[in-house]
Amino acid sequence: MAQQTAPSAAEATTQSESSRLAGTLTWMSQNGIFIFTAILILFALIFVDGFGSLMNITDVFHRAAPIGIVAVGMTFVVISGNYLDLSVVAQVATAGVILIAVSNNYGIFPAILAALAAAMLFALVNGTAVGIFKANAVIVTLATTFIGLGLLRFFSGGSIFFGPPDGPIRTFGLGKIGPIPYSAIVLIIMTIVLGLLLNRTNFGFLVRSFGVNESATRLGGTNTALVIIGAFLVTAVAAMIAGFVLAAFSNTAVSNDGVGYEFRALAAIIVGGTSVFGGRGSVYRTFLGVIFVSVLTNILVLSGISFGYQQVALGVLIVLAVSLDALARKVAQR
Amino acid sequence: MTTTSSADIAIAATGISKRFGGALAVDDVSLRIAPGEIHSIVGENGAGKSTLMRVMAGIIESDSGSVEVFGTPVDPGTRAAIDAGIALVHQELSLVPEMTVAENILLGAFPTRFGFTRYKDLKEIAANALAEIGVSVDLDERVSRLSVALRQFVEIARAVARQPKVLILDEPTATLTPAETDYLLRMLSRLAEGGMAIAYISHRIPEVFEISSNVTILRDGRQVLTAPIADLTPQEVIDNMVGRELKEDLQTHRDATPGEVVLRATDIEAPRVNSVSLEVRAGEIVGLGGLVGAGRSELVRAIIGADNRTAGRVTLTRNGRSVTLSSYTSAVRNGVGYVPEERRTDGLALIMTVSDNIRLPNRQQLSRFGIKAPRKIAEFAQELADKVGLRPPEIEREAGQYSGGNQQKVVLAKWLGRRPDFMVLDEPTRGVDVGAKAEIHRLVKEMADNGTAVLVVSSDLPELLELSDVIHVMRDGRITGSLTREDATEQSVMTLAAGEAEAVA
Repeated sequence: MAQQTAPSAAEATTQSESSRLAGTLTWMSQNGIFIFTAILILFALIFVDGFGSLMNITDVFHRAAPIGIVAVGMTFVVISGNYLDLSVVAQVATAGVILIAVSNNYGIFPAILAALAAAMLFALVNGTAVGIFKANAVIVTLATTFIGLGLLRFFSGGSIFFGPPDGPIRTFGLGKIGPIPYSAIVLIIMTIVLGLLLNRTNFGFLVRSFGVNESATRLGGTNTALVIIGAFLVTAVAAMIAGFVLAAFSNTAVSNDGVGYEFRALAAIIVGGTSVFGGRGSVYRTFLGVIFVSVLTNILVLSGISFGYQQVALGVLIVLAVSLDALARKVAQR
Repeated sequence: MTTTSSADIAIAATGISKRFGGALAVDDVSLRIAPGEIHSIVGENGAGKSTLMRVMAGIIESDSGSVEVFGTPVDPGTRAAIDAGIALVHQELSLVPEMTVAENILLGAFPTRFGFTRYKDLKEIAANALAEIGVSVDLDERVSRLSVALRQFVEIARAVARQPKVLILDEPTATLTPAETDYLLRMLSRLAEGGMAIAYISHRIPEVFEISSNVTILRDGRQVLTAPIADLTPQEVIDNMVGRELKEDLQTHRDATPGEVVLRATDIEAPRVNSVSLEVRAGEIVGLGGLVGAGRSELVRAIIGADNRTAGRVTLTRNGRSVTLSSYTSAVRNGVGYVPEERRTDGLALIMTVSDNIRLPNRQQLSRFGIKAPRKIAEFAQELADKVGLRPPEIEREAGQYSGGNQQKVVLAKWLGRRPDFMVLDEPTRGVDVGAKAEIHRLVKEMADNGTAVLVVSSDLPELLELSDVIHVMRDGRITGSLTREDATEQSVMTLAAGEAEAVA
């Protein structure tokens, strides 16, 4: 027996050592965000005028919060290997409009319940098509974006809804602790809760396992359709909360509120090192990705760089991060 | 060995070494194969066979040593190797399922004129290649519709179409039945008679003795010996591969005392399965024999619900309580375990840790209110890893970093933890080295001794005979005969599997 140990051990070492480059690349694509975020903030503090001011910090948080809440939720869909949920655009807008419009007429609790119902409907349609019928998530959620926005425009008539000048929504929208607005605190709580959900529960484990190997997960005795519907539900509930936060901040809601959120959230997730191939990723790193993307955008704004160039920067960032992810994967497979 | 001039040697690999990080995968190995010679390379998983072949085919660059074809040095890189006349038939099939047979055979070498594919030439070259290996298959058929065996032959045709001087085959018979294997071996002998030099990697010692003139044995990346096959006995080859004398416990049967019927499947119908009924008792190992494509995997998957069945009823009885199995998840919940045929795609999540893989089917007992219990998981996984003899027993290592045999032990460990009442194993030792194979056999027998009802699908006849208390043989989706352990021989199983006429031929 002792003699037989030798070949197996030697072989295992061989294979792990051969993947040192892969290991470095994987580490970079997954953990580089810690270093990059620190460097970026340091850079901004030293070189960018006004970055360190309390008012600017509050502003960064305000802008980061709704996108960040969408991103930490959508991380589940990405880890499950289903790329992304484009319909967060419609979900954010729907939640905001429902919150303001319904609470104006019926009060805040019916508004929250109605928004929750809408979120569950989105999750059910997306999750059923992807999880049971095995349809491609990008195309399904592109379609549900159309359906959702279409219905929203029909029912809202495309008009802007204004909340009352005082009341709980306004109080929340304006409230802050020191320079940190309530919305950012919601983001932090969401990050912790969803982080625990991903890392500590059987559900989170199955989402990850499904992202690595769908077939093995199913044959391990898993109802995979429920896992996928669950991943879309986490995303939808997060998008709903993001819609609330966004509507509360401006005390208004309109059907095109969430435009661009799918892309920014995806940027944060990918820059945070969650693999678009599924299976690898972290809610906490998505949070850092949100900070990175928000700080970068803020630096560009403060430096007077136009919106067009900001978009270019974000696009370039995604291409770089996705390429690094793909490269790490390719080297690891060699 | 140095008496012949190097120009007469089809391929000469000299002093090949390849280091992966800290460990030497191939350590100063030299190989010379003459035109018309079939040279077998044997060794346990991880001995360095595949690495050596990949170096010779230019897929990976060696740290030292050289490769020459008829005395001309070959530059590194696949392109140079192909140009020099070296063709490799991969261990894992590398065909494009959605393309036709002809397109696959010439993949990467389409005949063109002005950039347009010339389909007439393409089909002609492909037809010639198939004719050369004596296989008849429709050139326009999509590869996805072919059996595993035919895909393997198309893969070989692809290598032959490039008219190589040296043909390297990495375990081509791993997925083939005995009849198909025979066919392949005869094909290789014919190619060798035509002057091709063939390097042949296999785990199956009888094949090596059947076709090769010389054999090289590798162990731990080192060349243990190279000798004419006539100078060796099969036992000597195995002893040299393993580095110790493998005890002949391969033929020990258990004393089975089967209990109540645990699994009863009645009139099962599914694609490629025609109204099959069978029973498995507690403590009994039932074997399913037959050729690849006979419907065995389809049958077991239909029984446990991994694939849909169109008709039939499956009941599972334990401690006098019966349940009807409706879906795969309900089967697993009620005590069914399943080791699938395809370890890498269906059995394991390769980039997850051993611990996570073991956790997957056992997650309920390793959590509380859906929240995981890390210490419990670690203890549970470690205990199972030790039990199945995982080497090294490091549960936080990714499953994909282990050799095939060790990976298969992890798949077994996943299910052992659930103490299943009914266990299905589909080709449990395919592509697994001799040592791991013996250990897996021991675990399967132990499981049955502890009262589990076991159903084993295997194309490996000695394995089927060794494990099974009863063997059902399938052909064309039906059970064509059942053999008790006393009646079962390789001959009797094959006769039922192939039908009289083919077994004689």
